[in-house]
Amino acid sequence: MADILGRRRFLSSAVLGTSATVLTATTIGSLAPEALADPVKLDVEAGAPDPNFVEGRITGIAGGLLMVTGSDRTLNQIHLTKATSVWKLRPTTADAARVGDGLYARGVRMPDGTLAADAVWLNIVNLQVHITSIGRDVLHLDHHGDRIVGHVVSGTTAAVYNNTPAVGDLSLLEVGRHAQVIGAWRPDTNEVDVATVYAAA
Amino acid sequence: MWLASAQQAVVGGVLLWASGYKLLHRNASAHARRSVLARLTGTERVAVAYRAVGAVEAVAGLLLLAPPVFAAEAYAAVALSAGMLGYLAYGRWRAPESSCGCLGDKHTPVRGRGFARAGVLLVLSALAVTATEPWLNSPLATVGVAVVEGAVVVALSPELDHRWLIPLRRWRVRRRHPLSRHAVEIPLESTIQQLWKSGAYRSVVEQLTSDLLDHWDEGEWRLLTYAARTADGPVTAVFAVPRLAYEPDRARVALVPVAEDIFV
Repeated sequence: MADILGRRRFLSSAVLGTSATVLTATTIGSLAPEALADPVKLDVEAGAPDPNFVEGRITGIAGGLLMVTGSDRTLNQIHLTKATSVWKLRPTTADAARVGDGLYARGVRMPDGTLAADAVWLNIVNLQVHITSIGRDVLHLDHHGDRIVGHVVSGTTAAVYNNTPAVGDLSLLEVGRHAQVIGAWRPDTNEVDVATVYAAA
Repeated sequence: MWLASAQQAVVGGVLLWASGYKLLHRNASAHARRSVLARLTGTERVAVAYRAVGAVEAVAGLLLLAPPVFAAEAYAAVALSAGMLGYLAYGRWRAPESSCGCLGDKHTPVRGRGFARAGVLLVLSALAVTATEPWLNSPLATVGVAVVEGAVVVALSPELDHRWLIPLRRWRVRRRHPLSRHAVEIPLESTIQQLWKSGAYRSVVEQLTSDLLDHWDEGEWRLLTYAARTADGPVTAVFAVPRLAYEPDRARVALVPVAEDIFV
């Protein structure tokens, strides 16, 4: 914990001490394509699986290594590093991963077949729903006829009305309206924790 | 047996109501194409089949309502209800996202309430078999029974929720919104949206490899870090974004080399 706070302090002073609002090519070296450490290669054939992307559910965890079974039963091993972002309802750290969590990961395929993940999203869902009822800290949602319980997480759940900046105020949500919900699924239930709800107001 | 006689009116009424949608609604054929029936008959013949079902329901309903009492009328209703249960089971099994196409024009996949409603109708139809006299002989009792049982059928009809359940809940939420007290902090999502609009973000977005790594508040700033890769090796991109105001042009960025071994 002290490590994290120290690192944060260091990074704060790095950005707030400078006056750089925009980094030009000269501050970060040449931007010529050949100078990039990892030039973006689009060598995936149409219809072929993207080797740098993995989806599935976590079936085992060993240190920084996640064993993942894809929905087509492909087995994958995913390395998490300190440079890997992990999302589980909110940005979090690698130790939030649990066996049974759904997972999307993007990264770089290593020669040994494992994926060195750049970003991992755990249990993330994107739902087009109708709001059928609103209760205390809960939204009841209809997703193509299936009922989903959306839990409002105080301090985390945000609402975006009419594409304006996100706010924490959910009191403009209306029963019967259409909404889009980004949230974190609670594995093996019909419940999600709501991260962001997009609605008209 | 006024109770059994009253069931003739209830079941007959529900059948007429169901047939009304199938025969008279202007979008009936479009609705038929989205229903489970389309799976059974194919989309070319489904409009005709849908109307035929409506016609059978209308005839059975009218016979039940009309005075001379024959047990055969109620047996027909029993057969229709049992067929309905089978139809729902088939829909649940083979076309779970198709509409029931039962009592209204709303798209309603087959779920538990549909089965419950068909089961209730089956029981009521079976009860109507025992009727010996027309329901017109005891009109008041029939109206009472019809109101109660009609309410049960309506409550079990997801097609009709938008007519009573949703307005009721909307009214309750308007009176006192259950979520009105969450309103203090600036959500992280808002800061991220502001970051995306900033020149600072655009100037390094090509180098970013990860999603948001960490975030914390520092006075009027919210700091956000991302992993990035430059020609000189891996770095951490640190952004400072105004927390309490929407001023994306003031956002700042710094790239800090990642010195230590990054594997966990």
